[in-house]
Amino acid sequence: MASAPAEAETRQRLLRTVKKEVKQIMEEAVTRKFVHEDSSHIISFCAAVEACVLHGLRRRAAGFLRSNKIAALFMKVGKNFPPAEDLSRKVQDLEQLIESARNQIQGLQENVRKLPKLPNLSPLAIKHLWIRTALFEKVLDKIVHYLVENSSKYYEKEALLMDPVDGPILASLLVGPCALEYTKMKTADHFWTDPSADELVQRHRIHSSHVRQDSPTKRPALCIQKRHSSGSMDDRPSLSARDYVESLHQNSRATLLYGKNNVLVQPRDDMEAVPGYLSLHQTADVMTLKWTPNQLMNGSVGDLDYEKSVYWDYAMTIRLEEIVYLHCHQQVDSGGTVVLVSQDGIQRPPFRFPKGGHLLQFLSCLENGLLPHGQLDPPLWSQRGKGKVFPKLRKRSPQGSAESTSSDKDDDEATDYVFRIIYPGMQSEFVAPDFLGSTSSVSVGPAWMMVPAGRSMLVVARGSQWEPARWDTTLPTPSPKEQPPMPQDLMDVSVSNLPSLWQPSPRKSSCSSCSQSGSADGSSTNGCNHERAPLKLLCDNMKYQILSRAFYGWLAYCRHLSTVRTHLSALVNHMIVSPDLPCDAGQGLTARIWEQYLHDSTSYEEQELLRLIYYGGIQPEIRKAVWPFLLGHYQFGMTETERKEVDEQIHACYAQTMAEWLGCEAIVRQRERESHAAALAKCSSGASLDSHLHRMLHRDSTISNESSQSCSSGRQNIRLHSDSSSSTQVFESVDEVEQVEAEGRLEEKQPKIPNGNLVNGTCSPDSGHPSSHNFSSGLSEHSEPSLSTEDSVLDAQRNTPTVLRPRDGSVDDRQSSEATTSQDEAPREELAVQDSLESDLLANESMDEFMSITGSLDMALPEKDDVVMEGWRSSETEKHGQADSEDNLSEEPEMESLFPALASLAVTTSANEVSPVSSSGVTYSPELLDLYTVNLHRIEKDVQRCDRNYWYFTPANLEKLRNIMCSYIWQHIEIGYVQGMCDLLAPLLVILDDEALAFSCFTELMKRMNQNFPHGGAMDTHFANMRSLIQILDSELFELMHQNGDYTHFYFCYRWFLLDFKRELVYDDVFLVWETIWAAKHVSSAHYVLFIALALVEVYRDIILENNMDFTDIIKFFNEMAERHNTKQVLKLARDLVYKVQTLIENK
Amino acid sequence: MSGKSLLLKVILLGDGGVGKSSLMNRYVTNKFDSQAFHTIGVEFLNRDLEVDGRFVTLQIWDTAGQERFKSLRTPFYRGADCCLLTFSVDDRQSFENLGNWQKEFIYYADVKDPEHFPFVVLGNKVDKEDRQVTTEEAQTWCMENGDYPYLETSAKDDTNVTVAFEEAVRQVLAVEEQLEHCMLGHTIDLNSGSKAGSSCC
Repeated sequence: MASAPAEAETRQRLLRTVKKEVKQIMEEAVTRKFVHEDSSHIISFCAAVEACVLHGLRRRAAGFLRSNKIAALFMKVGKNFPPAEDLSRKVQDLEQLIESARNQIQGLQENVRKLPKLPNLSPLAIKHLWIRTALFEKVLDKIVHYLVENSSKYYEKEALLMDPVDGPILASLLVGPCALEYTKMKTADHFWTDPSADELVQRHRIHSSHVRQDSPTKRPALCIQKRHSSGSMDDRPSLSARDYVESLHQNSRATLLYGKNNVLVQPRDDMEAVPGYLSLHQTADVMTLKWTPNQLMNGSVGDLDYEKSVYWDYAMTIRLEEIVYLHCHQQVDSGGTVVLVSQDGIQRPPFRFPKGGHLLQFLSCLENGLLPHGQLDPPLWSQRGKGKVFPKLRKRSPQGSAESTSSDKDDDEATDYVFRIIYPGMQSEFVAPDFLGSTSSVSVGPAWMMVPAGRSMLVVARGSQWEPARWDTTLPTPSPKEQPPMPQDLMDVSVSNLPSLWQPSPRKSSCSSCSQSGSADGSSTNGCNHERAPLKLLCDNMKYQILSRAFYGWLAYCRHLSTVRTHLSALVNHMIVSPDLPCDAGQGLTARIWEQYLHDSTSYEEQELLRLIYYGGIQPEIRKAVWPFLLGHYQFGMTETERKEVDEQIHACYAQTMAEWLGCEAIVRQRERESHAAALAKCSSGASLDSHLHRMLHRDSTISNESSQSCSSGRQNIRLHSDSSSSTQVFESVDEVEQVEAEGRLEEKQPKIPNGNLVNGTCSPDSGHPSSHNFSSGLSEHSEPSLSTEDSVLDAQRNTPTVLRPRDGSVDDRQSSEATTSQDEAPREELAVQDSLESDLLANESMDEFMSITGSLDMALPEKDDVVMEGWRSSETEKHGQADSEDNLSEEPEMESLFPALASLAVTTSANEVSPVSSSGVTYSPELLDLYTVNLHRIEKDVQRCDRNYWYFTPANLEKLRNIMCSYIWQHIEIGYVQGMCDLLAPLLVILDDEALAFSCFTELMKRMNQNFPHGGAMDTHFANMRSLIQILDSELFELMHQNGDYTHFYFCYRWFLLDFKRELVYDDVFLVWETIWAAKHVSSAHYVLFIALALVEVYRDIILENNMDFTDIIKFFNEMAERHNTKQVLKLARDLVYKVQTLIENK
Repeated sequence: MSGKSLLLKVILLGDGGVGKSSLMNRYVTNKFDSQAFHTIGVEFLNRDLEVDGRFVTLQIWDTAGQERFKSLRTPFYRGADCCLLTFSVDDRQSFENLGNWQKEFIYYADVKDPEHFPFVVLGNKVDKEDRQVTTEEAQTWCMENGDYPYLETSAKDDTNVTVAFEEAVRQVLAVEEQLEHCMLGHTIDLNSGSKAGSSCC
């Protein structure tokens, strides 16, 4: 017995499982309103409940010998508890029904039982029949509750139901599911047309596991077909051949008129007569005579050779309507011989009957069968007591025709007869001008000739005119001409060299309609079908079909190959890089190898490193080190010094960019603040602007100065001081001091700034213009709706364009105000914080977060960043002072011009100062400001929502994300921010965890990714390539996708390509996939994303096909499957697909 | 479920970040994720519901709000039965863009009779305190632009979300009925009856 804690653990585990399943079902109920009885959740739910109920069940309660313990238990409970009794009755009824059905499928049962789950009322559903029925009858919870209450009676003491806590919990858990409605409706939309992706995948797993690995519907891809076509030719016909033997001789549609074993036929002149089974069949309109060699009948030929057996060639099927004459020869030593002669004069090989009147019997059966339309001429005579007898005729050929000159010897007149089959009503039947014409045109003599009766011989006319030289017809049509049998050779023809050996399919004229129509399946207008066609012909047909299919396949293959070459060869690198040479790359790039490489860059070739990454990814620990190389931030082979240099340049560039946009942002913030205030005012008052509002606006704009610092500086400000004071009031004094300090520090630090000239000397293209002018004009222009159709329209400005004028004297004011301590700064701070980017970050935010941000900033920009930030902060404070002073000075109308003044202050006046603030000393054109406003708005919206569920994205790190994004957009303002860029940046930042580095890598990454965004054009190319690839590699899926012809077909891939699968996979997988994509560019394909996309489609192709998904279904399916893919599998498949295309191209 | 349920295609439109995906997810899965990411491409979810005795499957299409994704978004407008124009009451700009969304939809959805196409306007995020758009303004806009029903919703608090989608269904059904009536030769006052301008405030 297990220890108590182990038992407790078991109980918890059981309970957890039930909880999970209950949750699943309840969720399904919420989303679908109904739960289908066959939902897989029900089955797993039943299993979970059963496990609980059986846990610790006393053996007595379970019934010692009962195999179904639940049944035993429930029946026991039923004795005392009426609902259980009801249930027992119902289930027993059900079981009886099932039992009777089961008897029929006994054999299958064993297989099916092994399966984990099955849809419909599967054996598994039956297995849990009791629980299941109890659930649907809504008594399960009651019964379990009863069991819990009386647990001592049924359970051991360690049982789950005995537990004072767990037992009742289980019972109450079941109340929910028992209150639900379950439906069996098979056509209800909610279940059958709208199963979740999960459900679909599960269903597929269930039945595919039980059928076989390959989908039965899967048509082999072209290249496979090419390689294995000769192999695949063998197994299919063998199956059908067997079927034919079965069907031909035990056919319900055809009445068997006569059957005789051991009728001898000499199939070829050079061999002994072979015994076989002769049978006469009658279907609705025709009679057929068949002869099948015994070897085929009794299956004495080994299974493997079955199909190839020569006996197939000997088997015969003769349509009696083609037969005109029957030559009968009676011999003393044998039973007799019949030779059939058809209307074109061709004689069939003689049938030699065993002794004992079988010949006569055959004739009599035949005569009966011919009635009522046809008859034998002369008819058999009826003799009393003896039945039918041969007519007493002495004439050899009562109505002999010229054609039937094939002569008997005259000496055995008494024993030889020639019967004619006539159809009195339809004489014309025998005249088939077409056919005769065609035969005469090829001048074919009778293939079979009778030699003197008694010792009938067989002559095969192997006309030399039938040279196998007819393959040059591109579309091989079956010739209606008579052919010597030669299928043997054809079976061995391999498809690859098919054309050179191609021969018209041999066929006999015995089934003229078949051969004339040339239709392979024989379902021709003449009513000729498989039953009546000779076995031989059927086999030939099959072979022909196979061959022609293979041939067409080959043609299609050639065509596809040319498509591949013209369209797809650019998609892959033609050099195939092996995963195993020089070593197995499955382990990927490990830390050890990387260290070695860094130590000695000659130890590994770049190509080798990439190969390792392509096949095995990068060990997570060294991703941070390797990614910059992969993305092109560093070049492989760079020395450490060189790399440092690159880093420094990047840092400088980043710092400068940031300074630029921060400056711009300050102004944007300010304008926004104003419009926001206006909107608020409008919203609250609903009145138009009056002079009072003007003043209000003014006040607000003052406040917005602070907010214009944006979170980057503004919040830092607060955080910096939050340790020294918990009250915002105190910020003021500290801020003052800090400001001075900061400035002092800045001056100290300035000399250390590398590339200081760069930082200081930046100028925007517009810097030549007086900033104030620029800005004022910007304002007035901005008031034009045309400029701000989409983004924030500054209502206030629209209404007061005239008062917003530049003020040049502001500099002086600023100077004086610097010394002034503002009274409203504290509340201002508060407001700023509230409205800054991260509104959830309050001033009293924990210090560690602050530490992390400054820390990380330090790391990112060891000195400069700090400097810039602080510098910016000081300039901000200056602006406050300025604003405040103005505010305090008066309420003149000129005061409205505060913003331009500030702008000029921020950009021009400060540029002349020593402080690094000058680094942001750029003049911003109104267009730029507007553009930036638009983008800032979007960036912030998206950054706030970026992967907040992932551990890395703390507010501090989101801040970094924002900084990088703003920097990138600032440099690419003409493109602007587009949704999805954040997604691309996020994983980079997670791995690199360094603003400047991530910025650089992101810039590199975007060189490729930019094309996928709406402003690029690569998406359509991707779709087109996907189309070609699917067409080449999975024609079946291609057909499905075109079934509902719609140009939106590949839209389900849009997000995949736009974000390099970032949204489709969990973070760890994204890293792996991304580095594989980057490495693939040099290893296998610059368009590796296509192959990943294709692999994703292929992984689910069976599900897509089975459910006949249209494009909306596919969109929904893949949206639901997001982050649930088996990435390893997908990547492997993707590599295989690349390889496949590579080999396709290689095989020119 | 009785009979075959009607499949209605509903499109959620509006500026980025107004809460389109949140509304959809709240309605279909009854979940709210304040951390939800912006939508890339298009997504859709189905939900069965019963409105006034009719069983309907709503196919709700959620689109990417950014202007740039127009080419991706617009193909899906075709065949829509109803359009939910969404803005956020704390984002004035999103409100002011309603007209653009309406135009874009009418243009690309190839609506035959734009006058009577069922639009429903949703002012989302009413849980937020700093409103920039008043109920009156929004109602006025709706009156002026086609007498659309206006509802104020909050995906976060699950305020009016179900009502909103049911209203959408009612709109569609009402238009359908009108069409039927018209075909029968009745004259109908299109401005009354069906358009029950329900507002929560």
